[in-house]
Amino acid sequence: MTPEEASAMTEASEQPAPDPRVPAERAPRTQTAGAAVPSSVDVHVHAPVEVERAARSVTLEGLHAYYGSTHAVKNVDLAFGANQTTAIIGPSGCGKSTMVRCINRMHEEIPGARAEGKILLDDLDVNGPVDVVAVRRTIGMVFQKPNPFPTMSIRDNVAAGLKLTGVKTKDLNERVERALRGAGLWDEVKDRLGSPGIGLSGGQQQRLCIARTMAVEPDVILMDEPCSALDPIATLKVEELIDEIKKRVTVVIVTHNMQQAARVADQTAFMLSGELVEVGPTEKIFTNPDDERTEQYVTGKFG
Amino acid sequence: MATGTRQQYRDELAALEAQTLGGIDLVVGQLDRVTEALEHQDVELATMVIVDDDRLDGRYLEVNQSILSLLALQAPVASDLRLVAALLHVIKHVERMGDQCVNIAKLIPLSGHEPPVRAEVLARLLRMSACARSEVTQAKRAFAERNTELAEDLVRQDREINRLNREVFRIAIEVGDDADTREWAMHMTMVARAIERIGDNAVDIGEQTVFVATGLFREFSAPSAAGLPQPLQ
Amino acid sequence: MSTVPNVPVQTRLQAISAGRKRKDVAARWTLGLLTGIALVPLVLVIFYLLQKGLKAWSWDFFTTDPTGAFIGNQGGVKSAIVGTVEMVLLASIVAVPIGVGVAVYLVEFGKDSKFAAVVRYFVDVMTGVPSIVFGLFIYTTLVVSGAGGSSFAGWKGGLALALLMLPVVTRSAEVVLQLVPQGLREAALALGAPRWVVTLKVVVRTAIPGLITGSLLAVARAMGETAPLLFTVGALNATSLNLNDQMNSLPLQIFRDVGQANDQLVTRAWGSALTLVVMILILTLVARAVGRRSANS
Repeated sequence: MTPEEASAMTEASEQPAPDPRVPAERAPRTQTAGAAVPSSVDVHVHAPVEVERAARSVTLEGLHAYYGSTHAVKNVDLAFGANQTTAIIGPSGCGKSTMVRCINRMHEEIPGARAEGKILLDDLDVNGPVDVVAVRRTIGMVFQKPNPFPTMSIRDNVAAGLKLTGVKTKDLNERVERALRGAGLWDEVKDRLGSPGIGLSGGQQQRLCIARTMAVEPDVILMDEPCSALDPIATLKVEELIDEIKKRVTVVIVTHNMQQAARVADQTAFMLSGELVEVGPTEKIFTNPDDERTEQYVTGKFG
Repeated sequence: MATGTRQQYRDELAALEAQTLGGIDLVVGQLDRVTEALEHQDVELATMVIVDDDRLDGRYLEVNQSILSLLALQAPVASDLRLVAALLHVIKHVERMGDQCVNIAKLIPLSGHEPPVRAEVLARLLRMSACARSEVTQAKRAFAERNTELAEDLVRQDREINRLNREVFRIAIEVGDDADTREWAMHMTMVARAIERIGDNAVDIGEQTVFVATGLFREFSAPSAAGLPQPLQ
Repeated sequence: MSTVPNVPVQTRLQAISAGRKRKDVAARWTLGLLTGIALVPLVLVIFYLLQKGLKAWSWDFFTTDPTGAFIGNQGGVKSAIVGTVEMVLLASIVAVPIGVGVAVYLVEFGKDSKFAAVVRYFVDVMTGVPSIVFGLFIYTTLVVSGAGGSSFAGWKGGLALALLMLPVVTRSAEVVLQLVPQGLREAALALGAPRWVVTLKVVVRTAIPGLITGSLLAVARAMGETAPLLFTVGALNATSLNLNDQMNSLPLQIFRDVGQANDQLVTRAWGSALTLVVMILILTLVARAVGRRSANS
């Protein structure tokens, strides 16, 4: 055989010809789809978070929520790591919004509704004899439909959290600017802080609401489907924002958009019919979930 | 006829898997023909095998494109995602197995029309080919059924091929009476090596099977279990 | 109508049939006729008001009190205008805060409770009560007993008007408060604002234009009421700034002048009527303007 033929043969195989006596060098590797993690608090994060302000963690223990006699949330034990984003996914009516609204005690505003169980902010149970107003100043909320106060200007909207709660501060304008910068809105509105808040586009309004929530400097921000009413670009901007604010707060986001959960969350929890079915690192939930029901839901076999 | 949610997507996924596994059938056909060509020194048959490799290359490109399309349009997750990722690997292994068949086919005419065949070498080569055929069909069955036991069993069969490969090499060293025989023997060691590579690719398909079924990727460590290379006896 | 599926589209889409055209024309004419019939009295009233009332308007008309004389210088209606303004002002000061307060309670705190339902029911009933009943009520409780050291008094008439205004203000305020989106309350609560702050600084503040509109309309209605004043205020020709005195008012003035045999007094009555209508018109226009401005902002 000629040398050309020999080299042609070598090219046809995918490796340089090894000595057949020598077994192909292969060190056994083990790689799991979705790093296995012992507890849900030690989460595998997208990228290490540079923590600018150590936020607090939230832990639910034995949470039950009722609307009158309807048992909407059944015995949920769930931990939200500090300075992490946790997404709650599940089909309509599974109780995810209800559960999240228990955390800042908005659930009890509904007549006939009550929540039982422990809601621990670090070590303090906020579901106990704690002033509900103080709880809500530490745990903020952003809603599905942007709701800036229509009678207030942009500046007043952002300051509303401080003014309505009677916080006296000398550097109000600085705090407003900081909150707007934090929400990525400063450059867009710095020239019209006095104009009405409802004059902004949908996406800007939602970021205004986030700025308003941030201005009070809470430890936790709850988001109930914050991007449902927004167009795709506005949605992406809000998602980028969530990645930013994680450095200062703990974020819990309810979403029915699984791709959003995949993009945004460090940890994802799946709920079904009021129960917590599975919780784990987002990557694991979307590559190799433990529970068959989670598998069925994320691959779209139901929901 | 849409019967469940995302039925069209499920059908597409099933078709993609069938297309990929169908490539394995093509490989088995190639292997059978090249083995026959080897046994009877049939140069025309060997040429056919070389030409038919185009079909396998085509199959590879089709599956590759379908996978890209599925990923872009359907955003598969969880077990679906693992399946798609595995199919991408599997079709690559299929294509390489086809290339190994072509390598074997190219070696056949090199020895001339009346090569000095040594029976003990040829017998072992034919046995290796039968083993490889059995491994490949078992790999296909294991993947289709997501049968991890069957997949892990491939390692056992692959040891047999590896053993035979070493024997062929040993015999080839000692066979050297004249230059023609030595030349033929060298070509045959290359054939043996090509068959051994087919076996390895089948084992790789087994690894992908375990990955799809469990989400764990683990190399079946048969070759390195043999430890460091031993001097030949 | 063609039901043949194979007929090409152009043939199926025919022009409107003659029968349907006739029905359309007939319906339009009928509605137009009914509207015209409804407009006739309205136009006539305005026409008469202007024709007969403008004659009475003069500088003296607005600046002098009625003298009470039957012939000779009868004077103007200054005291009536002043009295109406005084009493309606008192009524507003009483009725608007209480009415808005009740509405705030019903919408923000009572919501679906049994007590709120009862309150709502009673408010609805009160809107239907004839105004003379309110007058009688005040008469029986305050006038006869001589409360406040007098029998007839301006403030008692004001109270009667307040009772009249109260359910109207409550109803319209309730509607306006319910229109405030629930999302605003939730947003304010979630920020950690106490309940009363949410109610006052967010809900009421957002609803203020609507509340103003509703209140002005209630005021406009109260201005024209005669019956409650008949038994409570008495009559006085002189301008009085003392609410504890008897007092004149435009409706009362009209009532007294219309029946007189003297044409000039009747003309003065028309003039008073026109004045009243103009005052109510101005109030309504202001209410509309406030409402429109809030809708646009």
